[in-house]
Amino acid sequence: MTAWLLRRLAASVAIVFAVLTLTFVLIHLAPGSPFRPSADDRTVSPEVIARLDRVYGLDRPLAVQYLKYIGNVARGEFGESFSQHRPVARALADAVPNTVLLGVAALAIEFALGIALGAYQAARARRRVDAALSHVTLFFYSVPTFWLGLALLLVFGQWLHWLPVGGVGDPVVHDSLPWAGRVLDTLRHLVLPAGTLGLVGAAGTARYQRAAMLEVIHQDYVRTARAKGLSERRVLLRHALRNAVLPIITLLGLSLPFLLTGAVLVETVFSWPGMGKLAADAIFARDYPVVTAAAILAAAMVAVSSVAADLLTAVADPRVRLGARDAR
Amino acid sequence: MQVAVAALAALTACGRRAECTGEYCGTLVIAGLGEPDILLPPASDDAHADAVDDQLYVKLADLGPSGNTFGDVGFVPELAERWEWDNPRTITFHLNPNARWHDGRPVRAEDVAFSFDVNTDSIVNSRARASLTKVRRVTTRDSLTVVFHFSEAYPEMFYDAVHHMRILPAHLLRTVPRDQLRTAPFGRAPVGAGCYRFVAWKAGQSLELAADSTCFLGRPHIRRLLWRFTPDPSVAVTQLVAGEADVYEYVPPQDLERVRADSQLVTYPYAGPYYTFLGFNLRARGDTSLPHPLFGDRQLRRALTLATDRQQLVQSVFGGLAKVPPGPMPLLWSTWDSTLRVMPFDSAAAVRILAANGWRDHDGDGVADREGQKLAFELLTVTTSPNRRQYARLLQEQFRRIGVAVEITELESSVMTQRMETGNYDAALVSRIGDPSPTSSIALNWLAGSSSNYTRYDNPVFAEAYARATDATTRDAALRVWRSAFQVLLDDAPAIWLYSQQVVAVVQRRVADVRIRPDAPYALVRTWRIPADRLIDRDRVERR
Repeated sequence: MTAWLLRRLAASVAIVFAVLTLTFVLIHLAPGSPFRPSADDRTVSPEVIARLDRVYGLDRPLAVQYLKYIGNVARGEFGESFSQHRPVARALADAVPNTVLLGVAALAIEFALGIALGAYQAARARRRVDAALSHVTLFFYSVPTFWLGLALLLVFGQWLHWLPVGGVGDPVVHDSLPWAGRVLDTLRHLVLPAGTLGLVGAAGTARYQRAAMLEVIHQDYVRTARAKGLSERRVLLRHALRNAVLPIITLLGLSLPFLLTGAVLVETVFSWPGMGKLAADAIFARDYPVVTAAAILAAAMVAVSSVAADLLTAVADPRVRLGARDAR
Repeated sequence: MQVAVAALAALTACGRRAECTGEYCGTLVIAGLGEPDILLPPASDDAHADAVDDQLYVKLADLGPSGNTFGDVGFVPELAERWEWDNPRTITFHLNPNARWHDGRPVRAEDVAFSFDVNTDSIVNSRARASLTKVRRVTTRDSLTVVFHFSEAYPEMFYDAVHHMRILPAHLLRTVPRDQLRTAPFGRAPVGAGCYRFVAWKAGQSLELAADSTCFLGRPHIRRLLWRFTPDPSVAVTQLVAGEADVYEYVPPQDLERVRADSQLVTYPYAGPYYTFLGFNLRARGDTSLPHPLFGDRQLRRALTLATDRQQLVQSVFGGLAKVPPGPMPLLWSTWDSTLRVMPFDSAAAVRILAANGWRDHDGDGVADREGQKLAFELLTVTTSPNRRQYARLLQEQFRRIGVAVEITELESSVMTQRMETGNYDAALVSRIGDPSPTSSIALNWLAGSSSNYTRYDNPVFAEAYARATDATTRDAALRVWRSAFQVLLDDAPAIWLYSQQVVAVVQRRVADVRIRPDAPYALVRTWRIPADRLIDRDRVERR
């Protein structure tokens, strides 16, 4: 187990390094300049561009820039944002908590709702309610996230005035509220973006869960549980669902990177200042240090999540033995 | 559900201290489309920062309602309470003795001299630097008197001295190395002398300023200014409609109906600082020493101009919210002259010119050709502008009717810039933003050798007219020469000037005395107010 873990972590470091290298090279080779971001509006003289290139070391050969960047990253320095004029670490530190908050809330909705809905449908398979819910989940599964976000924003924000239309807190009152008020204010702002992501995700999860549950429900041990006289509720929840949830754990593992990488469109629609929006803005602004740091973070998250998913699967399913194949 | 939401809203409201009453309680939430890079003017090249800097910092004087940039007529005193011309090349400014930095220190003449030094430092490379090249030096006569010495006299020398440079606190910035100004902590917690002082900046979320009740320019009525960063124009409009923001400076044409349908919102149209054109590359792709095989020909450019029904384009894309400009100019400029000789829409004349120059459809494929060469070109436009993308398609159709094939290429903005800079393009849809004066913008975009002259337009007659316009001694004389300069451009047709937008700002009805200066929509916000009887809860909230 320890050896397996060490091997996986070593592989993860290699993956992150490869992503760093690829991102660094690609963003530097892409056309455009960080100091000439727009074809319109203000103009920047070639002298200014040349001076800024010098200041940020962009006038040096790519290999030299790369080696210097690797050295900085090894020391935990991600450089300075070209567009925000502050350390990249500060920009990430501002964005990551917002993205984690949104991601955790969205994943909680996605999996709680998805698993419950899928299990409920499986228990009532091929009845009217199952068919109706299948149509509903198919609708949410098919609908573009940004469209759903805009629709929810229009209905609950603009028409009904029930929920705020954007941001992570009310900029006017948030800081004047007591602690509990600030938490509630944040929750109110979280409902629509997390709900948007959660609903779309839940639709997919529900379909997976329904299929997994239907497969399990006809297994011998479920039949045995029923034969023992257990209630249907107990059979489904204690015996069937526990096994049917295993594929969903893998799905959860794959979804974890989202906790740090964010959702660009939803963050844009709801003015949610998270990683997705930070990375997208940085790409358009050719903010190389932010783009590369965001890619490193995303790669690290994917690698760690993958390991975490395997660990979770092993915990949930005693039949899985990590590293067993290597041991043979 | 409704009960739950109401309960949540009520809980959220708990703890607010609704205390402020009277005339000075307003809170103005500005939907800001983008976030400033840094709040230190010489180190910033960002329009979002300008709007905030307008409140934080002062200039010596600023443009008045007339927008005049010639001489000192119409300029409004700011830090300088008065000024006099010692001679045609020397202006003496007398500073307001009541002006204070937000840390309490008095604003002094040395701050002005320091600001000039920073703005003209080649290491800093401020945006204002180009406008200050004719200021030889700035000296202080005493702590409240500062003298600008120019190398030559010219009509816009006063404008150049006062408009581009915001005054900085020397006592806080003198020790910051010039090459580190862009990253100085000051830029994210600035100290100015304007009527609003810095309070807080939450990255990606909001930026807050508070009124300086002792402001030497008069106490602002609105107590708090909050920029709420919003990434998308339509979302910004939604915030206005939902009552979560109070003002937005640019309503996209497609959202105007939504805004006008809301009785709580008032629209304020104003002359926009933008103009958009179809620019032709006059030099060959990849070899600027040779003329472009198509657009090197003046007659061909004029034919394409004649074939473009600009009025119809403006009407179908903008309704009444844009005009066809008589040359390269936004609605904002005083040089706008509707009597200029603009080529009319006349597709029959366009076809005749093409035919006279040998461009006919010899092979019947619908595209004119000459000596084996097709009359076809690539048109670049940016992916981020819905208006220009629409224009590209409409132009493609209009040119198709006279046998010209256009292939549209949509590019990300900086990629398009790079292609235009290197001359690797045929034609492009470009927008330009102008200062209140045409002087610098015209030089940058249409004079030979200028960094943004992507058409590579080069006509000594135009350059000579431009030089005379900038040297004219009176406003009327300058306008006359500008007219002749623009006429040369129009006749040469290095571009087809397509539209100049009228911009529409939207403000909540409870805000009174709204005045918008077209070149800087929030420059006069300190004079806006929210009457006591129109205050809402959030106006009265006290910050902890």
